[in-house]
Amino acid sequence: MKTILQAENVEKVYRVGSMDVAALRGVSLDLEEGEFLAIMGPSGCGKSTLLHLLGGLLTPSSGRIMIDGEDLTAASDAKRTDIRRRKIGFVFQRFNLFPTLTAEGNLRLAERIHAGGSNGGEDSSARRREVLSLLKLEDKMHHKPLELSGGEQQRVALARAIVNRPAIILADEPTGNLDSENSAIVLNMFQEMNYRFNQTIIMITHNPEAAAMCRRIVQMRDGQIVAPATGLQV
Amino acid sequence: MESLVANNIRQRPLRALVSIAGVALGVCLVMLFTGLSRGMSNDLQRRSSSVLAEIYFTRPGGMELTTSTANLSVKYAEELSKIEGVQSAVPVIRYIFQGGRGFGFEQVQGVDWEPYAAMNDLKLVAGHAPAAADEIIIDEAKARNGNLNVGSTLSLFGGKPYRITGIYAPEAEARVKMSLAAMQDALEAPGKCSYILVKTKDGVDPLAVVRRIEAQPSTQGNKIQLTRDIITNIEKTIPYLGVFLRALVGLSAVVSGLVVMLAMYTTITERTREIGMLKALGASRGYIVSVIEREAFVISLLGLVAGFAVSFVAGYLINRAYGLLFEYGWRWALVAALIGVGGGVLGALYPAVRAANLDPVNALAHE
Repeated sequence: MKTILQAENVEKVYRVGSMDVAALRGVSLDLEEGEFLAIMGPSGCGKSTLLHLLGGLLTPSSGRIMIDGEDLTAASDAKRTDIRRRKIGFVFQRFNLFPTLTAEGNLRLAERIHAGGSNGGEDSSARRREVLSLLKLEDKMHHKPLELSGGEQQRVALARAIVNRPAIILADEPTGNLDSENSAIVLNMFQEMNYRFNQTIIMITHNPEAAAMCRRIVQMRDGQIVAPATGLQV
Repeated sequence: MESLVANNIRQRPLRALVSIAGVALGVCLVMLFTGLSRGMSNDLQRRSSSVLAEIYFTRPGGMELTTSTANLSVKYAEELSKIEGVQSAVPVIRYIFQGGRGFGFEQVQGVDWEPYAAMNDLKLVAGHAPAAADEIIIDEAKARNGNLNVGSTLSLFGGKPYRITGIYAPEAEARVKMSLAAMQDALEAPGKCSYILVKTKDGVDPLAVVRRIEAQPSTQGNKIQLTRDIITNIEKTIPYLGVFLRALVGLSAVVSGLVVMLAMYTTITERTREIGMLKALGASRGYIVSVIEREAFVISLLGLVAGFAVSFVAGYLINRAYGLLFEYGWRWALVAALIGVGGGVLGALYPAVRAANLDPVNALAHE
């Protein structure tokens, strides 16, 4: 199996006033293609910081992160943005959809950014329809986020994350704002993406039931992975 | 196709309208002031070009655009008529006063109609020449714009009523003319005039006549100018008008730029999280700058169109209300367009770059 993500001894220190606060203290993690990993841990343990580092939204204070053979830590800001554009899809707890665009518009925007500003053409149109159909959103494609339920918004966010076939999807508590019924729907979608397309997913969650749907779980505490980095197989 | 830029503008219509109005204001300022300057200048030039006399003879300082002195003796007309090459010399008083509604200047001339009309090939198209002290004639443009006819009255010299006895064409110098004697009486300047128009005989070089006048001892100490040099451009005639127009153009650019900058700054503050979302999707700095700049460009373009439309409507209404002439030129329209769009795009540059440099994690956490 191809290793899609490697994090080696990653540290992140925030400067708060005159104090240094260590958010991550030497995290190492390997992830193979097609894995569905849950990261669990109490609030403030560094889960989101780790996810942001893996997605290139933050730079580590030390350590190395490789995404699909590309060194994220050695890259410039522009290069990291480029790697994120080509290889990473984000799903957030608060959905983070563009409120002025329809569901389809949100997907189109992601495609346009992925294509470097140009339109994707026929192929992308077909892909978009396929993704919307897979996530049972065909009849919602012309709705704006505020016209959708929380579960539907999160499905649109997931559709937007996968429409460009990223190497990894990074999901930050994707069911945190959903009721149990919608959580189950969204988690099933994640699982389906993982099984059907061998999509690599890292998901942060507080919810043990959500974590139980993943193939592997790592536990974090105080900025460290406390369960072995090679994973706790479920 | 659905566009982030268009949808962002539609989402905040009031702010978009304020921004559009800001750009339109800048464009309007440029268009109206330059249009007015050009309109008045061209109007003066048109009317001056109807004067067929080749030479103006006056006292030094007697031909400034805004002065209305009558300090030249009409006896010079007799002297000038005797000079070789001169066909006729006609004394004229020009009186300039503030426009009836507080805008601009208006002129009234005192002339003996027959010699003046013969010299400049003017014709009465209605009525008769002014004779009595309270009679005037007006040109066709004045009659048309003011909806005036023979028999109508006009108030001059502090509200004194004057009866229109005739309408003449084509337009030449002041639009309102009365007899020289009536004007001398009104200004309490008997035997005086502002200048004397000198017409040379056919085939005679006006410059040669100018030299002869200058050589004449009895006419020395006065000023002699060729008609073609008198009013070439109002921008050159009114001191610092050019500087004023340029300052106005700069001010308009600043107004347009500041309004768009403030609007776009507010926009990116409100949309901080969306900018974080763009960054999470992998949008480059250039892409984020381009999204904000495109929005500013659309707003500026709409402001430009609104500015042009308002300028034309305002120019028309001001003309109807106050008689001021507006003539819009392509050159100044282009300057206004550059100011509107350039000011807007440049004004948006700072907020755009600031947005592009936002920290994505902080932006995503923004409430």
